[in-house]
Amino acid sequence: MFHVSFRYIFGIPPLILVLLPVTSCNCHLKDKEGKEFENVILISIDELDKMLDIDSNCLKKELNYFKKHSCADKKEAAFLNRAAYKLEQFVKMNITEDFELHILKVSKGTLKVINCTKEETILKEPKKNDWCFLKTLLQKIKTCWNKILRGN
Amino acid sequence: MTILGKAFAIVFYLVHAVSGESGYAQNGDLEDAESDADYSFSCYAQLEVDGSQHSLTCAFDDPDVNSTNLEFEICESLLLIDCLNFNKLPDEKYFIKTNKFLMIGKSNICVKLREEYLACKRVEIVHIVKPEAPFDLKVTYRPRANDFEVTFNTSHLQKKYVKQLMHDVAYCQEKDGNNWMHMNITNTRLTLPQRKLQSDAMYEIKVRSLPHSDYYKGFWSEWSPSYHFKTPETNSEEMNPVLLTISVTSFISVGLLVILACALWKKRIKAIVWPSLPDHKKTLEQLCKKPEKNFNASFNPESFLDCQIHKVDDIQSRDEMENFLQDTLSPPLEESEKHEPTRSIHGPNCPSQIPVTTSETLNRELSFGCPAGNVSACSGPMRPSFWAPDCREGVRSGSHVYQDLLLSPGTVDNTVLQPSPHQSGLLTLNSVVQGQPILTSLRQNQEEAYVTMSSFYKNQ
Repeated sequence: MFHVSFRYIFGIPPLILVLLPVTSCNCHLKDKEGKEFENVILISIDELDKMLDIDSNCLKKELNYFKKHSCADKKEAAFLNRAAYKLEQFVKMNITEDFELHILKVSKGTLKVINCTKEETILKEPKKNDWCFLKTLLQKIKTCWNKILRGN
Repeated sequence: MTILGKAFAIVFYLVHAVSGESGYAQNGDLEDAESDADYSFSCYAQLEVDGSQHSLTCAFDDPDVNSTNLEFEICESLLLIDCLNFNKLPDEKYFIKTNKFLMIGKSNICVKLREEYLACKRVEIVHIVKPEAPFDLKVTYRPRANDFEVTFNTSHLQKKYVKQLMHDVAYCQEKDGNNWMHMNITNTRLTLPQRKLQSDAMYEIKVRSLPHSDYYKGFWSEWSPSYHFKTPETNSEEMNPVLLTISVTSFISVGLLVILACALWKKRIKAIVWPSLPDHKKTLEQLCKKPEKNFNASFNPESFLDCQIHKVDDIQSRDEMENFLQDTLSPPLEESEKHEPTRSIHGPNCPSQIPVTTSETLNRELSFGCPAGNVSACSGPMRPSFWAPDCREGVRSGSHVYQDLLLSPGTVDNTVLQPSPHQSGLLTLNSVVQGQPILTSLRQNQEEAYVTMSSFYKNQ
């Protein structure tokens, strides 16, 4: 019995401590002044917003995805990193070249300024032509960027 | 030995071949003799030059470079693709037009010969931006403001990325040549004051732009097409007619004011500015009646020849007065005798008491002998008749007061008052009018008989 309790006491906690950095995604912003966001990313978000002529009620819906993943304090960079990967999934949809290029500017531009230790893996793909989700995602990204810049 | 020799030969042959292939150059033997050339190059980018399309232009710094088979390639920070190849232009420049620039992060631009990279440079596209040249440059003269309004247009006002620019406006006189004056502005409108330019001269003006923000940087744009204008002739004699009229009118008004002020200074203005204080003497003269011109006040007895002089022989109620005067005057009289022994105030026959008279009683005395209604006609001194004739001049000093009483205009009373025995109380009049002998006696004793208020007060 003694060797069993010894294993649980001295074996599992160090294992947890070692695995914690592996499971968490440590992300930080390279340029905290936000010049890339104001001069490139924000312009593309506004252009996409104009192209997505969707009913404003779309934004009132509380989607499950954003209940799980939000721009929480000290986790803004991680949220932006995840949101950028999520955006790239919309590129595969049947959209115009300008639309596609603006989405890529937002996603790749965000990934360029955020440095994460682990690459995000998006398992579930969004519904096809779920423009409400895309519009909501873009607004969340914009809000999270503003939160970071205001905090600086 | 043969084997050894063969081995050395093979080794030398291999060394020679390897060194040849590795790029070891001899004169004119190898293809890559051009590697000594300078392939340095410079590039500039123009964003949104055609809708959402951007352009990138590169050229070698050395114009003598043989650009045959040379190509330019850009990789990294691109969207949807990894690398893009440039197109070669006839003027030895390399050009690319695309909308796939990410505009975040660095890109790698290389010069390659076939598949070999000769020179590479890592640049940020947003740091080599060259704006488009301004256009529609105009200069308008504004005569009222006496200045020149310079306006121009730029395509960057409608762009999304490079919107903030610095504009360099340069102007010069055509005959001066290269003496350019520069002005930096951030908007598309400029005002040039006329005083900064020479009159009646031809000027040339042009403008260029530079990115002016924290993120987008780069180079000056090309100059806009020049605009030529001529400055008007300035005539110094010409004046605004309204201004001229106003100035003339104001000058005339000021002149009239000055003339009026000088003319009316003494009459009206001075009296208001410095009011004269009334002189009390003159005021009194105006208030009181002026005496007649022929009025002569004199104490010469000869002037009183017309007056009836009644000698006073006795004084009624003498006892009463004596008693009264004794009570009031005796102590001061004794003191004055002590202090002023030289002055004999009273003669041996003089009454010890000096009667008190008022100016009214003296006026009545004057009126006794004077013609009725004409007291002023009285002349000659009036001896107070209540003194005894042989009274000494001890009371001489008192004559001053008497003279004052006689001369003071307030005491002259034109109304002839009849003496009342009660009021006089001091004298009994001799109704017999004395003639000349009285006058002579008066002259002799006039000095003795004069009693002045000053001596009277002294005696007191």
